[in-house]
Order: sequence, then C-alpha cells, then structure tokens
Amino acid sequence: MSSGPRIACLGINHRTTPVELRERLAFAEAKVPDANRQVQSLPGFRESVIISTCNRVEIYAAHESSDAHAALIDYLVQHFQLAPDQAEALVCYKLDADEAARHLFRVVSGLDSMVLGETEIFGQVKQAYKVALESGTTSRELNKLFQRAFSGGKLVREKTAIQRGSTSVGSVAVDLAGKIFDLKACRVMLIGAGEMARTCAQSLLSRGAKSIIVSNRSHDRAIELAAEFKGTAMKFDEWEHALHEVDIVISSTSAPHFVVKPELVQKVMRQRRGHPLFLIDIAVPRDIDPAVNDLEDVYVYDIDALSAIAEDGRRERERQIALCEQLIEEQLVKFGITQPL
Amino acid sequence: MDRLLLILSTLAFASAVVLALVSLKAGKWKESRWHWVPMAVGLALQSAFLYLRGQQHGRCPLTNLFEVFIFIGWAIVLLYFLVGTTYRLSLLGVFTAPMIALLQGLSLISSLDQTVPRPRTVPNPWLETHAAVSLIAYAAFAMACVTGIMYLVQARMLKRHNIHGLFYQLPPIHELAKAIQKLTLTGSILLSAGLAASIPLDIPISNPKLIFAWTVWGMYLVVNVVMWRHLLSARQTAWLAVVAFIVPLVSVGLVTKA
Repeated sequence: MSSGPRIACLGINHRTTPVELRERLAFAEAKVPDANRQVQSLPGFRESVIISTCNRVEIYAAHESSDAHAALIDYLVQHFQLAPDQAEALVCYKLDADEAARHLFRVVSGLDSMVLGETEIFGQVKQAYKVALESGTTSRELNKLFQRAFSGGKLVREKTAIQRGSTSVGSVAVDLAGKIFDLKACRVMLIGAGEMARTCAQSLLSRGAKSIIVSNRSHDRAIELAAEFKGTAMKFDEWEHALHEVDIVISSTSAPHFVVKPELVQKVMRQRRGHPLFLIDIAVPRDIDPAVNDLEDVYVYDIDALSAIAEDGRRERERQIALCEQLIEEQLVKFGITQPL
Repeated sequence: MDRLLLILSTLAFASAVVLALVSLKAGKWKESRWHWVPMAVGLALQSAFLYLRGQQHGRCPLTNLFEVFIFIGWAIVLLYFLVGTTYRLSLLGVFTAPMIALLQGLSLISSLDQTVPRPRTVPNPWLETHAAVSLIAYAAFAMACVTGIMYLVQARMLKRHNIHGLFYQLPPIHELAKAIQKLTLTGSILLSAGLAASIPLDIPISNPKLIFAWTVWGMYLVVNVVMWRHLLSARQTAWLAVVAFIVPLVSVGLVTKA
C-alpha cells in the first residue's frame, strides 16, 4: 500500500437508517460545498466528497487520520446537532480503502439502491462529485476514485441488463403506455381517486401525457385532484360520455361491480376509428370487466398483471447482480484498487 | 464473380441476423450503434452484383426470376435505410435481414439463375423505368408486410401481458401503424409511376403482365382506402398489410414466367 492519504467512507442508507433519521442527516443542497470544506479541514483530512440523496448520506474522504470514521461521526453529530439518543442510534457503515472503492462502484452501478439498477443515482453521484470538485475539496485520490467509479458504473450498465424492464406498478404503466401511444399526445382519464391511481397518473403526466380528466364520486375530491394535475374535473355520471376522447383510463373506484363493461367500450371504439385504448384497473374488486380485453385494439391491465410485470422486472435485475459484481471486481483489479485473486 | 458478390452479400445479411439476435438477447439492441454496418455492407455487395449483371446484359438486370428476387431484395434494403431512419424503426433490420438472407440464399441454391442469351439491344428507357420502379414499389409493400408482422407480434404481447425482452426492443405500435400506412401509400405511388411508365410502350391491354400489375395496383388502392379511412381496427389493418403482400409476391413469379 502507498504511504499517502487513505480513502475512507462513512455512510447511512435506506438499509441502515430509518427515514426519520435519514431526513435529519440530509445535507441541504446549498450547504454541501461548505460541508465539503468543513470535512476537508478536519485534522488529518485532505479531500472530501459528500453524497446526500433521499436514500443515502455518504462522506468519502482522503485522509491521514488515525481514526477517520470516528472523526466523521463526530462531525455529523455536531453538524446536525444530534441529541445524545439520536447519536447513539446512528448506525453507519465504515469502509476503508478497497472496501470504500468497491462500495462506490456498487452505488454508481445502482446495486446499492432501494430500486435495484435505478439510473438516477449515477447522476446524483456525478453531481455530488462536481460540487466537491468546484469547491476545491477533491484532489488526486478522490478524483481518481470517482472517475474510475463512473467508468465502472457505465460499463456495468452497458454490459448487463441491470436497468432493463420496470420494477414498480407506476413505471410499468408508463412503459406500457409508451409502447401503445406517443405519450406527448396522450389524454388520460382517472375514474376514482385511489392513491395508486394517483401515482400512476402522476407518472404518466411526468413523462409528458398531454392532459387529464378526473372523475370521482366525490366531486370535490375530483376538483382537488384535477387542480393538483392541472387537469379537468368531471362529474361521476358524465365520464362515460368522454371516454372516446381519452387514450388511457386509470380506474380505481370502490364499486363492488364492474364499472367499465364491454358494451360501453365497444361503442367507444367505434368512435375512436382505429385508435387503441389502454385501460388500467387498479381497483380491488376490479372495475373493468376482463372481457373488455378481448375487444380489438383495447388493452386491459389489472393490478395483478401490472404487479406481475414489475415483479418480473425486479427478478430480472436480481439475476444480473452476480454479473455486475463480477464486472466491478474486474474493474477494481484493472484500476489497481484490489489485487487479482 | 457476380455470384461471389451475392454470396458475400448474403453472408453480410446473415451476420446482421446473428448480431441482432445477440444484441436482443443481451437486451441492448437500442444501445448498439453498429447494427446497420452489416446491412450497409450487404447493400453495397448487392449493388455491385446488380451493376455487374447490368453491364453483362446491357440493361436493367431483370432477365429472370433470380435477378428479380435480388433486385427486390436490394430495394427492400434501400427502403430499410430510408424508412428505418425516418421512423426510427431500426429494429426493422431484425426482421428485414433474415428475410433478405433467406431470399438470396434460396435464390443462390435454386436453379432460377438461368439467363437465356439475348442479343444486346438498345434498352427502352420506358420499359426499364416501368420494371425497376414497379419492383421498388413491391419492395415497399414487402416492408409494409414486415412492419405488419412486427405490429402483430407487439400487439399480441401487449394483449397477452407477455412483457419480456423483445417487447422492450420493438417500436411502439402507434409508430408501426403509421409506418404500415405510409409504406403502403409509398408503394402505391411508386407502382402508379411504374404503370404510368408502361403507357408509352403500347403494350396490349390483354398482356398478362399488365393485367397482373393493374390487379396489384387496384388491390392496393382498396387497401389504402381501407387504411386511411380507418375502416378496420389497427390490428386488422396490420393483417391486411401482411396478407395483401401475397398478391404481388405471387404476381412477380407469374409475370416473370409469362
């Protein structure tokens, strides 16, 4: 090993720490440059990069300190003014040298994320590194480590299927809709105002869906949701008349019987002149008669079908873990961070 | 020499199939930037073959069924590059490459390449234009057929909730539906131009070649009306593009033999 500065990593994430404490320890975006400088100025510390996202807070440091992890814990306790019981409850992972490097490679590859293989973390770590670089708190050791981790993470994502498929009901619904329509021209109708339906609608709108109509038994609730989505509220006894105008229907009423029946959809499809219709049934018991799926150009997905696809996506990603880990190990050896076995 | 070029071209298309299957299996079709390379090599070799044959005959190389098939294959690959770019349907290559490899492979091992030596005459430009443009129109119909198959595969997976690797690689069905309509229209316009070029030739109306060509033209006119007026569902329209292609396919054989 070289006699220069050593790498240390101290962190908490969704596995080690409950959200109540994680949010307490999150660095405000504007304060990260100062925090980087404060860590760098700790006795024996040379470089610092702080990663602070909703699921993790990690401090990477190059140091010549005799107990870097203890110094970093003290810094966190003081910086966030944690009460003694909170400080005591703080469970961090403390990694050194090649373990810290391996962890960073896993983080940027999405292997340490709550949603395995998610892509957002790569950008978040890049941004954290950029902030540290611009704050002047990185130098030879951390620059080398982070740049190699980015190359490694990119390689893992390119060479494996760790990003393939969708892993949540909302993202499955968006992916399916994207395979049927041009989302930017899509009109969405929400029948009922269940929480999961709301999440689905939110996902579709965030991916560019053109407009939304909300219809609910409680019209006040429909108005409230429509306002949230900048859409239109519709009385519950009127939605059938507007069905031919929309491309995606998300249904989540608490009706004990089918609300959307084949006769209705058949009539609507005649008006749609060959344009497909995507029906998402989030309700239990179901709102949409499964026989509707037998109609031409109509695609019906209920909560079980969506969950099964999401589960397949998660399993597919889990199957990729071993390959990802192998690639990371190869990268660590290639960059001289670890020795070949 | 010309057959060697065609064999190499067939191997290029076969390698495009292998490359596509490997990329699809790894789920990285979209990320692959090089899937067009074997297709481009295949097209260049096809073009060289047709050029050499054209030099031999002193006219457009459409003297037997073998050359007609190769010419259609060439036009399909040409359209693949044009349409693939326009509609971002690069996965069309996965379906186009095996079709061309099969078409050329079977043509090469068959006994179709039997050219009856004919005296070199000054080619009639109207006849050349008529034959070449009509065959390019048939290639557009072939592409509409391939796109129709892609639509049916994608729609079936959506309908049956069979969401796996290929589903994510195939283009959205709305893009495929648009491509089917536009390719069918393109084919019809080209065929109209090809038939218009036959008017100065003074071919008798009872000529079987002309009857076949006008039959195909009339049928695709009906298909276009059905598609643009949305008289059928999108899935049925895709089926129409697939099934309709049987008519020009059969007519090519009949016209060449006639």
